[in-house]
Amino acid sequence: MLNTTLIILAIFIIAFAGFAIYDLATAKRRKEVYRVKSSLTAYLMLLPAIVLAFLFIMLPILYSLGYAFTDYYLLKPNDINFIWFDNFKAFFSELATKGTLYHAIKNTIVFVVGVVPLQIGTALLLSLFVNRPGIGSKIFKVCFFAPVVISLSVTSFLWLQILAPGENGLLNSLLGIFGVAPHDWLRDPNTAMPCIIVLSAWQGCGYQMLIFLSGLSNIRKELYEAASLDGANGWRKFWLVTWPGLRSTFVYIIITVFIGACRILTQPMLMTGYQDHTVTLSYYMYQQGYTFRWVGQSSAVALIMTIFIGAITLIQRRVFREKK
Amino acid sequence: MKKLLTAILSVMLALILSFGMTACGGDPGEESTDKDGNTIVKIMFHVDKSATEGQAYQKRINAFNAAYKDKKIKAQAVFKARTAGASGYETELLNNQIEGTLADIVTFDAPNTAAYAKSGLLYDISNLISSEDQAKFYSLNKYDGKLYGLPIQESSAGFFYNKKIFNQAGINVSGYTAENPWTFEQFKAVCAQLKSHCTPVDMRIDAVKDETAPYLLYSFIHAAGGSFTDSTGYVANGYYNSAETAKGFQFIKDLITAGYTSYEIGATDFFTGKVGMYLSSGWTIPDLDNKYKEHFKNRDEWGLLPYPKDAIAASATGSWSYAITNNHHTDKTAIVELLKWMTSAESSKAITDATGMIPARKDVENTYAVGTPEYTLLKQLELSGKERPVTVAYPTFSTTFNQVITGLKTSEVSTLLAAATNTLQLEMDKLQNLHG
Amino acid sequence: MDKNLVKDLPNFRPNKKPAKNTVKAIIYHVVGIVLSLIFLFPIIYMLATSTKSESAYASSLGSLNMFLPDFANLGTMFANYESVLVNYDIWKYALNSFIYAAIVIVLNVLINGLAGYVMAKLRFPGKRLLSFLIIFLIVVPVETSIIPLYSIVKIMLGLKQEMSVLGVILPATISIFNVFLFTQFFEGIPKEYEEAARIDGANTMGVFAKVIMPLSKPIIATVAVFCFIGVWNDYLWPSMILPSANDGSWPLLPIQTALMSIQSIEGITTGEIMASLIITSIPIFIIYVAAQKYIVQGFGTAGLKM
Repeated sequence: MLNTTLIILAIFIIAFAGFAIYDLATAKRRKEVYRVKSSLTAYLMLLPAIVLAFLFIMLPILYSLGYAFTDYYLLKPNDINFIWFDNFKAFFSELATKGTLYHAIKNTIVFVVGVVPLQIGTALLLSLFVNRPGIGSKIFKVCFFAPVVISLSVTSFLWLQILAPGENGLLNSLLGIFGVAPHDWLRDPNTAMPCIIVLSAWQGCGYQMLIFLSGLSNIRKELYEAASLDGANGWRKFWLVTWPGLRSTFVYIIITVFIGACRILTQPMLMTGYQDHTVTLSYYMYQQGYTFRWVGQSSAVALIMTIFIGAITLIQRRVFREKK
Repeated sequence: MKKLLTAILSVMLALILSFGMTACGGDPGEESTDKDGNTIVKIMFHVDKSATEGQAYQKRINAFNAAYKDKKIKAQAVFKARTAGASGYETELLNNQIEGTLADIVTFDAPNTAAYAKSGLLYDISNLISSEDQAKFYSLNKYDGKLYGLPIQESSAGFFYNKKIFNQAGINVSGYTAENPWTFEQFKAVCAQLKSHCTPVDMRIDAVKDETAPYLLYSFIHAAGGSFTDSTGYVANGYYNSAETAKGFQFIKDLITAGYTSYEIGATDFFTGKVGMYLSSGWTIPDLDNKYKEHFKNRDEWGLLPYPKDAIAASATGSWSYAITNNHHTDKTAIVELLKWMTSAESSKAITDATGMIPARKDVENTYAVGTPEYTLLKQLELSGKERPVTVAYPTFSTTFNQVITGLKTSEVSTLLAAATNTLQLEMDKLQNLHG
Repeated sequence: MDKNLVKDLPNFRPNKKPAKNTVKAIIYHVVGIVLSLIFLFPIIYMLATSTKSESAYASSLGSLNMFLPDFANLGTMFANYESVLVNYDIWKYALNSFIYAAIVIVLNVLINGLAGYVMAKLRFPGKRLLSFLIIFLIVVPVETSIIPLYSIVKIMLGLKQEMSVLGVILPATISIFNVFLFTQFFEGIPKEYEEAARIDGANTMGVFAKVIMPLSKPIIATVAVFCFIGVWNDYLWPSMILPSANDGSWPLLPIQTALMSIQSIEGITTGEIMASLIITSIPIFIIYVAAQKYIVQGFGTAGLKM
């Protein structure tokens, strides 16, 4: 392991040196001035962060991506062989036969498409709701954030009670008052994913509310006053002032919520178990890697997923970013 | 400020680098003797130290150390609670193996025997434990004809029932004992009688997120004459999808169709008197004795019925076991001493007294009166206990079993079993390729 | 919790404000309370359950009673708290978590703050590669595997036994996202502050320590709070790398890892589990409420331009 690590370190240093030399060579053209002393200070101040990031972030990533090309079986850590693209072949053949992987991809897409607008929309409405002076709004702010800090296992257990099938379930007994027949929310393939979407948005939106709030606090009051003078009402003020003012916050939120949504794992695991109608990509990876012990194959899925999410995120950045 | 910063950062860097350097020197593994010349034997348990079970283990370890003081053997216990999710305990075992700090004796869940043995984690103890000694256990952790582990304790399950409801419904089940179990048909008849009074039975068909449903339900398939794999554990086709296996699952499906059980029963409905029968293991006995006094005052208000039989009588077994590991300690003499001590009749009794489970050995004296729940479980284990399939693909078996149980309400048994067999067979083929 | 909420609402004074605004305020607060209940129900449930015996808990499941305390046995309301605190030494693990969190916060702010300062204010060859790497590591969610991280800490760095405490602390001290936050925040600090200090003869380190850091309280508070929540809530990683305690010695486990272990004990009741969860959530709530203002400011000033 140490040998591999040293090789990776060497590659990293050479790459960095290469880029640094390139920067120096093109400095004149870019009208950039580098000073020796200031550069050395910069390297020195960066050193702790770079050493730690290399050891605890870059290396684990590179190793786990490397496993994608091996037959690493969890119970045989001392016997890892390169099998190159066999894991990827298995990936596509499982996809072609519409195995669990196919459902995992489908469910993940459904989840992302559902949760991203729901969570961001709710967060925006909540932030507009609490963005006013007064003790009441301060208390509400704390309440809305509460689910973020409660452990997923507690909230999942509660939602299981609420969504319980039959007349026992809280939601069913509530709907029963209006004459709706009891429904098996989590075992019905049509309602299971929507339920998981709602509870995930509910649990997560407090955090985005906070970030929207900080975005709102950045919008200058004069802009609202000017809009009022022009005779704009509440709704027009939102479109003319608030929405443009929140743009960069919005880009940040959409990217982070999207990435988080793609990695959904705990909710389906605790709510339904490993079932075709709720399995997600991360859950599939977890099951392959830990329960079935195929670390290599799990890493191959991770690699494909990383490329896929990365590509979409870069497109999002391009589409939503402010034009310069 | 600058000096302080530089100082902190350089100390940190130095620390990191120096640890890196020491690691280069190679790791000789843990010391196996202490400064007084005692041979140290490390044993790892899967429970929290402050649990009653953990304390029982610690007491037996202390007694061992007292008894073996003169022979200069010293046992050291490590407690690593098996926490929910992430198969934390297994990860710990594997990590310790990579690290070279694997304990000499570890505890492990019986269905993992095949996978652990095949991967070389466990040491073959066939020749270290005499055949007379082996015969004293109700079950052994064998794979491929070799012995890899000895059970800590045994488990058995059955149907807890609410005597108040049974009396109201006028149902007499006193004739159904472990020696003379009821049949599938008699079981259905009781359910039919209960139906007008309550939900008849909680078959735990919603407990499909972990090992609960497979553990409690697999023996119905054996009872119907079915099975899951061949004896090598590499062939599921022709077993998992056989007509007899389907019959076992069909019995459970029939219970659902007739409305005798459902996925909708709440986890505590039996304890609050809403359900007549509850399929569970022996660990429910202390719960009923202690936790639910308001609903079950004493043992006159609840009882335990055995598994129903069909083609044969079969019941769930299996628990955690001890195994000697294949670690860097090649001299296993002292280690075997500790294994024998921990699996002795005396230890077996001390541990099961603390846990309320069934002793692993036949020569542990029991004082259970005929008809008590403990007696029923013990007798049932002796007469009809059948272990879960021994296969390296056990995790996949367990997952597919859960998927079949979940699908029973809406799909045909044959469709479900075809899919499950296909998945399991693929995994077995893959593993056979890997292990060569 | 819900009762306090009602108590803390401001008193409306209709005579001092036009009637229309009062109606609006009432509607606002009613809607707010309903929304709050939707978000607070897990906490209400946890509080209610923590007062119940297993039997009372089982009876309440599936009905609205699961959100109400056990009125029949109000006298023994705190029995679960008592048994958790007395039987399981929770305070020792909590103290461990506080110590880990304190060290992580100091190192995290220093290390990532320094890096953020360099990325925001200094010019050096290779900077463009690093800024690309920072955005890349934030934007592209690589599924880090805990398996190689374990091997790195235990085998390559050799952090074993008591030393594995460093394995809990060191990986938590680096966070690319915090570097990004610091960079964004520092970019918003006008050059004039630095130049004034430079004229007074301060070097780069001096500027960072004497000018930048004092101006950065909101972002430091933000990073500190999230570091704290991260360390406090982490259980999987510490449970993998920390050794279990020997007899008599101080345990090394942090609070959540110890809690998971305690929850696995056969015979522990749901009420006791909820009581332990409530006890361990209190610090997070206090810190969050106290720092809430700074977090909004911190994120706000940082701008979060991706």
